[in-house]
Amino acid sequence: MKLRRPPSAEAAVAALGNGSVALAGGTEVVPLLRDGLLRAETLVDVSEVVPRGIEGTTIGAGTTLAELEVDPQIPDALRVACRLAASPQLRSMGTIGGNLLQATRCWYWRLAFPCYLHGGDRCHAREGEHREHAIFGNERCASAHPSDPAAALLALGARVRTDRRELAIEDLYRLPTDDDRDVVALEPDELILELEVPPAEASVYLKAMDRRRWAFPLVGVAAARGAGGTRIGLAGVAPIPWLLASPDGLDGATPLPGTEYKLRIARALVRRAFAALSG
Amino acid sequence: MARLIRTEKEVEGRFTEQWIVVEEDALDQWPAGPLEVVGRPAARLTGPARARGEARYTADLQLPGMLHTAVLRSPHARARATRLDVDRAREAPGVRCVLGPGDFDALTDSPEYVGAAIVALAADTFETAARALDLVEVEWEVLEPLLDPDEAVRRESLVGDVRRYERGDVDRAFAEADVVVEGEYRTQSVLHNALETHQSVCEWEGDRVTVYTSTQWIWGVRDEVARRFDLPPDKVRVVCEFMGGGFGAKGSAGEYTFLAAELARRTGRPVRCALTRREENVNSGNRSPSIQRLRVGARSDGTLVALAGDYVCSLGWDGWLPPIAGTMQQLYACENVRTVEYGAKLNTPPMEAFRAPGYVEGTFGLERILDELAAKLDVDPLELRRRNHADADPQDGRPYSSKNLMECYRRAEPYWDQRHDVRARSDGPWRYGVGMASQLWYGAGGPPSYAWVRVGSGGRAVVVTAMQDIGTGTRTAMAQIAAEELGLPLDRVDVEVGDSARGPYAVVSGGSSTLPSMGPAVRAAAADAARQILEIAAQRYHLEERVLSLRGGKVVSADGGSWPLEEVTGLLEDAQILGKGARGPNPTGMRTLTYGVQVAEVAVDVETGEVRVERIAAIHDVGRVINPLGARSQIEGGIIQGLGHTLTETRLLDPTGGQVLTQTLDAYRLPTIADVPEIVADLVDMPDAHLTNLGSKGLGEPPIVPTAAAIANAIRDATGADVRSLPISREELLRALDQAREKERREAPAPA
Repeated sequence: MKLRRPPSAEAAVAALGNGSVALAGGTEVVPLLRDGLLRAETLVDVSEVVPRGIEGTTIGAGTTLAELEVDPQIPDALRVACRLAASPQLRSMGTIGGNLLQATRCWYWRLAFPCYLHGGDRCHAREGEHREHAIFGNERCASAHPSDPAAALLALGARVRTDRRELAIEDLYRLPTDDDRDVVALEPDELILELEVPPAEASVYLKAMDRRRWAFPLVGVAAARGAGGTRIGLAGVAPIPWLLASPDGLDGATPLPGTEYKLRIARALVRRAFAALSG
Repeated sequence: MARLIRTEKEVEGRFTEQWIVVEEDALDQWPAGPLEVVGRPAARLTGPARARGEARYTADLQLPGMLHTAVLRSPHARARATRLDVDRAREAPGVRCVLGPGDFDALTDSPEYVGAAIVALAADTFETAARALDLVEVEWEVLEPLLDPDEAVRRESLVGDVRRYERGDVDRAFAEADVVVEGEYRTQSVLHNALETHQSVCEWEGDRVTVYTSTQWIWGVRDEVARRFDLPPDKVRVVCEFMGGGFGAKGSAGEYTFLAAELARRTGRPVRCALTRREENVNSGNRSPSIQRLRVGARSDGTLVALAGDYVCSLGWDGWLPPIAGTMQQLYACENVRTVEYGAKLNTPPMEAFRAPGYVEGTFGLERILDELAAKLDVDPLELRRRNHADADPQDGRPYSSKNLMECYRRAEPYWDQRHDVRARSDGPWRYGVGMASQLWYGAGGPPSYAWVRVGSGGRAVVVTAMQDIGTGTRTAMAQIAAEELGLPLDRVDVEVGDSARGPYAVVSGGSSTLPSMGPAVRAAAADAARQILEIAAQRYHLEERVLSLRGGKVVSADGGSWPLEEVTGLLEDAQILGKGARGPNPTGMRTLTYGVQVAEVAVDVETGEVRVERIAAIHDVGRVINPLGARSQIEGGIIQGLGHTLTETRLLDPTGGQVLTQTLDAYRLPTIADVPEIVADLVDMPDAHLTNLGSKGLGEPPIVPTAAAIANAIRDATGADVRSLPISREELLRALDQAREKERREAPAPA
């Protein structure tokens, strides 16, 4: 495996694709490579060429979670979501751009079962152990998206700027289909450069996890009140970060036998989030 | 004088009859309470070396020319290899030896559990070895695995015999009881997850083999390797200088040791076989899950009249049935008890001992159902336990060599009495409560165990014994005992352990037996050395031995004279004084056990199922405490491990395929420091007057025994919900809360 350090973002984009994979903090790519879940002939180190830092409402994709969690310009929901993610060591390495692209923690997927998400014909979790799995969008694949910040960015109505376009954060993700099992709508050589996070009047992130620290969300609830009303983003409840049109949207959940408790937690946390926003 | 006796030897509730040679224990016990060194907190002797990375673990060992092993393991819970071809792997560059099922009996082509070893190969680097495994070609015929323990019992798929125990007239007692409570309790499988994975490095020199291994018992490994390779035991040298955690799963040699030894034998090179973290979580053993169907009968004042338990332990494909009914048989004075224990043989990875095997699981069931009984009778749970205190062993009437459980209860009162105030802190969805549970476990230790103490011309002492320090602070405690007996400050005592070629026989570090077995032997050896020093001093200074003693690094005479120890030992120049000591027998006709109680304070969010343990007060009676600081560490470690067992840790299996799904530490959730509550540790510290020259029992296991039940009982106190299954995950707690509400609705008076 080769490591390349291109001199610019343009050069990085030119080097991506065709077996080349972008590497920033490495907290996700390195374990995936080690476990054979991601194959790469070349790693393209983008950490020096992707913007890093916070300027007003613009966040460089190379900004670490550790930098975001302490910056007063960052809305509460995103700051707290970063602070409650992972461990200090991981947050000091992991970037916000990489965080948005991390893969599910579904044990069947991580252990390389030939599951739907890996291109197989069935979801092993639906029939098997699925206490950490999805309550929305889970018909074909019951995996849960692990990103806390993604839920916060959904609630905040963030936009993503790549090397070639700008898109709403909800359009960054797609449920896997028979034709395409990917959950991210980026081209193989597309690079996230910046996030644009509109200011919120108030925002909040609440997280239920198995431990007090260093665990992926069983349920994460982000809510933000802005000019266009209140938006809700959920983490850990669907194969992708899940945007909820209103609290009533929880009625449309399709929990599995082992994930019904997640719906109860989601209801409680959404209620608390709204109470916090109005308080 | 050496005495040959046939005795009952106990390790973790497993009793064997064997011949042993014991030495009479001629020393009187020291007075109770803190002495010069013993009974005073001592920082770990090896702490700085560990912190600086200088301590050499098996994982650190790099021998010249050493090869590395990778093992192909079964992906299926039950299968037959219809084709197995290792030729391409054998020809891969850097691969030095490949073993298949026909080559070595630790390998199989008919795996009966996920992770069973199929092919092992040694290569120049671990990466080369791991990559070469991809070149092994296997075709499997996959067979249906047996995974359901109740089904295994029905089909009589069992490991060992069904164990039945009965005393009194159980049926009549239940019929006459004022109240009967019954329930089904379940405990999960948890994984040891030692920081240093199971591993060995083996090196042959002619017909001798040296085994560097991460083990709880170097002598056990020696004997197993000798048997496996048909060697006289003294041709096998076993070394374990530092060890990164065992918790019961490193009590035997293990297949990795045999593979390393065989690959080393065939290649003529040193070979390491180290489990990866994933292998560690699949193949190094586990605490067996249990189903406990329990019944308790009592009089209305809370006096127990009958106890009955049906226990099914899912042992996996191999192992032994842990004494899960022990708590029910021993903890309380109940005349009528009946237990049945089944060890279900399943197509899952074999169990291993895990810190108080059986008693952790059994105590959860018994102490939970007693809490439910107390609630039903409206009797104070602590009072209920006092009322049923056993003054003699309820199994056979034997007296206890010492028992201070009532004192533990008394010391628990300040924490227990706060429960009304704690409950009153409940606010909104957060409910607070306090729960308690009692603890009983073994921990007497026993012979045979030997130690030497060497005192050199510089007036320093070295304790030499071929025991292992598994990270519990054993070295420090042994140094304290020798220092006390020799009248030396602690910094003038060294301890040499961990090498079967460099010291006498020592016990397994399991079953809370290290300190109570080795400590008395070390004291006897130090006393033997002290006697020789005083004999020499008496002759040198023309005094009678009886007026001399050792204090503060000096030989002191009754008339006020004193001589530095090195002045006496210096007479010998490089020669040394050698004291020898042996562990004396356990008191005959008596039962020696450890006791305790833990009181847990919890906060529960009844809307999201979150449990926060705020405080655990742990009061334990283990006889004399040698090192209060080390003892505190043991209590904290046991409670934190118990906390994981109670709330977050569980080994999950795919329900149809039997694959272990929680192989990595992101999926298998150990507690973090943020989850750890305030831990109050209190030790009764009264020497057991009948037990050895120290009066000390073991403390490795007692602290983990009552933690789960204490927390679950606190949850009932806080919410009224009866949790009957571990771990108490959010879904489990929400389910228990629903059941409690449902029960309340059913029992509420119908509206008029």
